[in-house]
Parts: sequence; structure tokens; C-alpha cells
Amino acid sequence: MKIMRSGITFGILAGLLTFLFGGWSVAIIGSLMGVGLGMGLGNGLERKDPLKIAKDVAPTALVAGAILTLLSLYQNGFVQDAIGKQPAQLNVVIFGNLFGFLGAVIFTTLLAGLHGLPEKEELKWKMILLALLVVAFPFIDKLTALRWTAQIIFALIFVILGLGLNIVVGYAGLLDLGYAAFFAIGAYTTGMLSSPVHGIHINFWIVIWIAAGMAAIWGFMLGAPTLPLRGDYLAIVTLGFGEIVPVLFRNLIDITIKEPLTCWILPMFRIKTSCIILVEHYDLTLGEKGISPIGRPSLPLIGEFESSNPITWYFLIIAIILLSVFVIRRLRDSRLGRSWMAIREDELAAAQMGIDPVKTKLAAFALGATFSGFAGAFYAAYISGIFPSVFEFSTSIIILCVVILGGIGNINGVIVGGLVLMMADRLFLPALKDFLASLLTHTVLPSISNPVVQLAVKDNTNPILYRFLLFGLTLVIMMAVRPEGMIPNAQVRAELHPDDEPVIEAETPMTKKAIKG
Amino acid sequence: METARKKFNWRRFAIATLVLYIVFLIGPIVGLDIPVVYAAIKANPLQLVQFLIIGISNGAIVAIIALGYTMVYGIIELINFAHGDVYMIGVFTSLTVLSVTGTLESKDPVKITLGLILALVIAIVFCAILNAAIERLAYRRLRNAPRLAPLISAIGMSFIIENIGLMWAAQAWLVPSFGTTGGASQKVFPDMLGILFASLGWNINLLASSGLALRLTIKDLLVIVLAVVLMTGLYLFVQRTRLGKAMRATAQNRDAAKMLGIDIDRVITATFLIGGGLAGAAGLMAGLYNNTAWWFMGFRAGLQSFTAAVLGGIGNITGGMLGGFLIGLLASFSDGYLNARWTNALVFATLVLILLFRPTGLLGEQTGQKA
Repeated sequence: MKIMRSGITFGILAGLLTFLFGGWSVAIIGSLMGVGLGMGLGNGLERKDPLKIAKDVAPTALVAGAILTLLSLYQNGFVQDAIGKQPAQLNVVIFGNLFGFLGAVIFTTLLAGLHGLPEKEELKWKMILLALLVVAFPFIDKLTALRWTAQIIFALIFVILGLGLNIVVGYAGLLDLGYAAFFAIGAYTTGMLSSPVHGIHINFWIVIWIAAGMAAIWGFMLGAPTLPLRGDYLAIVTLGFGEIVPVLFRNLIDITIKEPLTCWILPMFRIKTSCIILVEHYDLTLGEKGISPIGRPSLPLIGEFESSNPITWYFLIIAIILLSVFVIRRLRDSRLGRSWMAIREDELAAAQMGIDPVKTKLAAFALGATFSGFAGAFYAAYISGIFPSVFEFSTSIIILCVVILGGIGNINGVIVGGLVLMMADRLFLPALKDFLASLLTHTVLPSISNPVVQLAVKDNTNPILYRFLLFGLTLVIMMAVRPEGMIPNAQVRAELHPDDEPVIEAETPMTKKAIKG
Repeated sequence: METARKKFNWRRFAIATLVLYIVFLIGPIVGLDIPVVYAAIKANPLQLVQFLIIGISNGAIVAIIALGYTMVYGIIELINFAHGDVYMIGVFTSLTVLSVTGTLESKDPVKITLGLILALVIAIVFCAILNAAIERLAYRRLRNAPRLAPLISAIGMSFIIENIGLMWAAQAWLVPSFGTTGGASQKVFPDMLGILFASLGWNINLLASSGLALRLTIKDLLVIVLAVVLMTGLYLFVQRTRLGKAMRATAQNRDAAKMLGIDIDRVITATFLIGGGLAGAAGLMAGLYNNTAWWFMGFRAGLQSFTAAVLGGIGNITGGMLGGFLIGLLASFSDGYLNARWTNALVFATLVLILLFRPTGLLGEQTGQKA
């Protein structure tokens, strides 16, 4: 009965999503819903024969798929009319809904059924399925003309940023409120080294490493003096750094450096010298105008990456994420990673055991910054233009939201959190805005006679205006209800619930290693 | 002893010279062009006095907001990130009250005065309740959580309130002077004090008859007097009343205070109420003094006030007042002699330097580095 209820909930939610996008979206939404529902249902069931599980789950899958299809058909029949759009063509409706229904049913039963296999097998098959989905996604997206790939690339940029911040916040337990500064440093390094502004054109594949290196150096330089500070003061100092960096990029537009000895000090004693001017009126960052265009990567077979074709960019960022995940996993299980967690849990005890807290934290800061350097370089090349307003405080907080929503200290959690939050921000809210706007103009507003109310309703129903509310609520609610995030790390959960029973079987790689010795 | 004192510390001298040289060399990039500033002061010394006046008036507002930070930090060791935004809500509340009561269009001095008093009262009450509600909703259940959890919650609250301010500034049906440009733009807070004194026939500039090129307005005086009254009231409240005593006890040791029968929840709520009320009063004052209302103004004000609280010694009420005036002066001189665009960065740099070299601030006690 319980699984039926979650099936109905999923079906209704997914069906409501089709209201926003319409057309082919039902096929993708159905499949994605199937994956999510299947995983959720499977994890809740006992490990037994796969076929038996599939049989148990099948009715739920059918119900969820049916609800989705019905809502999608209702959307096409009535909702499109209410928002003043033409219903989709018949072939789109038939095949879209067919694929949506089949995708929902098949993926639900398949993924739930996989839970019946032994643990290793299950993981292997899930990874294969996931890889297939990731590879197929941009092509399906292109076929169905939904244009989600460009938005997903943004979400993936924030996934990398989240992974980097996770090293600092999740592993080392240091709250960094100025992480966007390193993102900015990465992006501006790329911008300055591969654009016509300064006449330097270095290949993207080299610049991305320089950007990461620059971010790491700045992470080191910021961290070195500040890391002895205690938690909340450190947070404020990083916030300060995050504020100063965009101000610098915005205002370093007229640099004049005069050698003081010859220009002021000697003349003060009435000694005549010629003033040595090192730099005069040099525009380093172009201020608000931003730097553009920025050089793009190119590969032998594919040629130069173009903004009109997001598929190449998509695979590039997937490659960067895979590399990052690999490196971060190795780091986490290394001696350094284990000392981060020791510091996070009890700095005094860790220091007593011979871990140097400042060096360890510094390494976390610098390595965390490195990944945002990658993200910054990719971002600069992808947008082909960078502006100081992108890197403000709110960006740092959005990255923090990604980490906290997904699960502090958990790589999978951060990936899921980044995708969910950024898709909500970049896909869901704009679609909701269009939907509400056309619904209002066609159906609601004409029925309101009072002009004041009409204007008030019209002005306040733009969901984009509530973006900050989305992020703020994410932080507050997560902290109040589930501070360990959607997909928690067992250790972090134990730490955040000090009153509960201790978690004894926290089987993480770290404890495994500790047991093995 | 004698020899040690006589020995000249060459190393320190060399480092100081090097730092000075670097400041002279790179300073001009961030507007810190000392010879130019020196020339500007020499050419017009009166301007320095003018910036002093502006600095003290703005510092009074900063100091009042800083008190909210410092009191909350003193009691629950939380940087109440949303406090600056409560102040922003204070600006919007008072502007809305002035608009709804028709004070904005009025030319009658009695009506304006009554409207301003009403706006002050409502802003104080509303912001006090808002601040206490924030504590109840976002911080109370995290009181025993790891230290960073309530800070993250506070940042979230700050975002929520900023969004409320953004929406508020779009409600042209409520306050017609907001216009139809949407909530993101800066709004005008009408210069009600100027109108009031003009309608009374007073010259707003007190130094007009002296012939000096200086402006010391009634507004400056009013802001400073109101700030001093509020601060004195708060100081007396904390030092003399029973609840103030309970607050000090809670700040010293929460568990011990609890054991002695102090209702901790009540004390904390009272602290948030007082802090919020002060922020509301500061909101009206800042609106009247600077004549702008903007949804994002709380962030900058919050940053300056928090720096002021840290400068004075966080947790210390007198220190918060002192820090507020100092930061006001710093910001005013930076606006005047360097460039307004560097002021935020300068304030933050100050904050970083204080935290690094004297984390206890000017008047703070040694609290130890609790993790």
C-alpha cells in the first residue's frame, strides 16, 4: 500500500511538470520519473528475487505511468487552451505519451528489480544504466527539441563547484562563504589569457590548468593567514574575500602605478627626480563591460566547440566531472582526506594525534579552490564572456545550497543536489514563469475587474522574483529538518544528531580501511 | 633591561618600511593614493570636518544596528546574518506607514510630526516581532546543533527577508512612490525632515549664519541625539533592570543561568526583540537621513555593523557603539577621499585585519578560542 502511495505521488508530480513544458517533455519526464521511483521503491524493499520484486512493483509502475499519461493528455487537451497555446500535433501527442508511459513503467520495474541482485551486481548495473542515460540524454533532447541541454550544462557547472566546496565544507568542516571568488578567479584567468582584450591567446586545454592553479594559489594565499580563526569568524572572513574579489574585478579598470620614491618621497625633500611610472591607465578587467569574446576549446575531430551546439560542451563538462569525482574520491580516502575528517570532528584530538590543523585546512582550501578554477575556466569558455556581477555573494550561497541540499560530505549527494537545485532554478522557474504568465493573461486576468488587484496579481506572480526565497528556504528548511542533506554521509549524520543513538555500522571506506588497519 | 630597550629593532623597522613602500606603490590602484589625499586635505581642511559630521551621523546608525549583532552574539554566540535585512525591513515599514497615513503628501508640521512618530513606533514594533519570529523559526531548534548550523540557517533567513524586501518594493499599489519599475531598483525615501523644517520656516543648516562652507543640519543632530538616547536607554536597561541582569548572566554562562532559575528562552526572545526594535528605529533614521530605500541595503549595512561590532569587541555593548562611530567615520572618509566604490572592500579589509590581529576587538574581553 505504501509503495502504491509513492507511485501515485510521483505520477501526479511528474504529470504536473508536463503542464509546464508540454510537447515531447512527457517522454523524458516519464523516464526520469521511472528511474527515481524505481530507485526509491527498490531501496525500500527487501533484497530478494529480482523478478519477484518487479512483479510486486509492476502495479505501482502502471498506476504512476497511467496518472502521468492522463495528466499529460489533460494538459494537451485543456491546459494548452487555457494558456492560449495550440495543442501539440497528434504524432507528438501519441508518441510522446507512449514513450512516457513505457519509460515510466519499464524504468520503475527495472530499477526496482535490480535491487534483487547482490549488492555489487546491483551497483554495476545501475552504473551502466546511468551511463547510458547520461550519454543518451543530449541526443534525445536534440531529437525532441526541448533544449534542456544548455540548462543542464549550467547545473553541471554548479555540480563541479559544489564538489569543490564539499571538500572545504563537507570534509574539512570549514564554512566558506566566498567560494564564488575562486570561481571568478578561474574565469577571469581564462578570460585574460585567451581573449583579444590583452592580445593573449593561450589554448583552452592549457588555460584550464592555469586557471585551476591560479585559484589554488589564491586559496592558499587567503587561507594561510585566516585559517587559525575559529569557525564563524572564518566564515565571515571568507565572505569578505568573496565580496572584495568582484569589487576588484569591477574596478581594476584604470591602473596607474608610480614608483613612490622618485615621484613623491624625494620631491618632498626638494630633490629633483624624474618620476618613474610603471603602469599608467591600464584597463585590466574592463569593469562592468566584462571580457568577451573568450577563446574556445577545440579538438582534432570535432573542431572548435560552438555555442550553438551544446552537445560537445555537455560531454566536456561530463568529462571534467568524472575526472573531479575520481580525484576527489581518491583524495577523500587518502591520508589527507582522513585527516580532514578528523579535524572536522575534533580539532584538538586530531592535533593531539599529530595532524597539523593549519596545514591540513590549507590543503582543503587550496584543493577546493582548484575545482572551482576548472569550473570557472569552463564557464568562461562556454559563455565566451564574463561579467563581475556573476560572481557575487549570492553565487557563493547558491553553491553552499547545492552542498547542503545534497548532503554535506557526500559526492553523490552533491551531484544530485546540484542537479535538483539548478534545474529548479534554471528550468523549472522560467517554465513556471511562462506558464503562469500566459495562464494569467488568457484566463485569470480578464476575469478580475478591479484594476488595482489586477496589477498587483500581475506584478507578483513572476516566480523568477522568488529565486532568493528558493535558496533561503532550502537553507533554513534543510538545517531545521534534515541538516545532513538528501543523501547523507553516515558520519556527518551521526555528528549532526548528537542526541540519537550512535551509528555503529557506518560502513564508509574510511571505517573499512580503519578496520583493515 | 636597559640594553634590551636601547637595542633598535632593525628587523621590525625594515618590515615597516617595506609595508609602507608597498602601500605607496600599490595603494593608488585601490584609491589609497596618500599624496593625493594629503593634498586634498591640505587644500580644503573644512571638508575634513564635513566628512567628520557625515561620518558621525552615519556611524550613529551603524552603531544602533551593531548593537543588535553584538547583543545576539553575546548571548547565543550566533552571527545573526539576517539582522541587516531586518533593518532594511525597518526602512520599508516606516516608508509604508508614512505613505499609508498620507504623511508623504502632507505639508502640515503637526501631521508630519505625528506621522513620523507613528512610523517610528510601528517600525520598532514590527521589526522587533520579526526578529523574534526569526529566532523562533530558524535558530531555536538549532541551539544545541554544531556551531555552523544556525549560521547557515541565518544566511538562509537573510535571503528570505531580502526576497521579501524585493517584493515589497514592487508593491506600487501600497506605496505609490515606488513606481512601476519593479522591486529591484533603488527607491526614494522622501526627505520628510527637510519638508518638516521648511514648513516650520527653519533653516535646516545650523551653520548657515556662520558663513563657513559647512553643513551641520538638524537632521545630523536629530540622528545623533536619537542614537545616543537609544543607546543610553539600552545601557541602563542592561545594567539596571532585572531582565538586563538576566541577559548578562545568560551571556556569561547559559547553563549556570538556567540552573539559577533564569528562563533562557525568555531572555533570548527579549534580546531578539530589543535588537529588532533598534534595527527598526535605525531603519527610519537611515531612511530619513540618506533618503533611499533599497531591498539590498541591508547587506551593506549589515556588513558595516558587524564589522563595527567586531571592532568594538563583539558581545560588548559599549564596544558596539564605539565601533559603530569608528566605522561610520571610516566609511565617510573612504567615500570622500578615496572612492565610494572601494568603501565596501575597505570595510571588509578592516574586518579581516581586526579578526586576524585583535579578534577580541577594542573593548572585548578575552573569550578564548572556542571551537
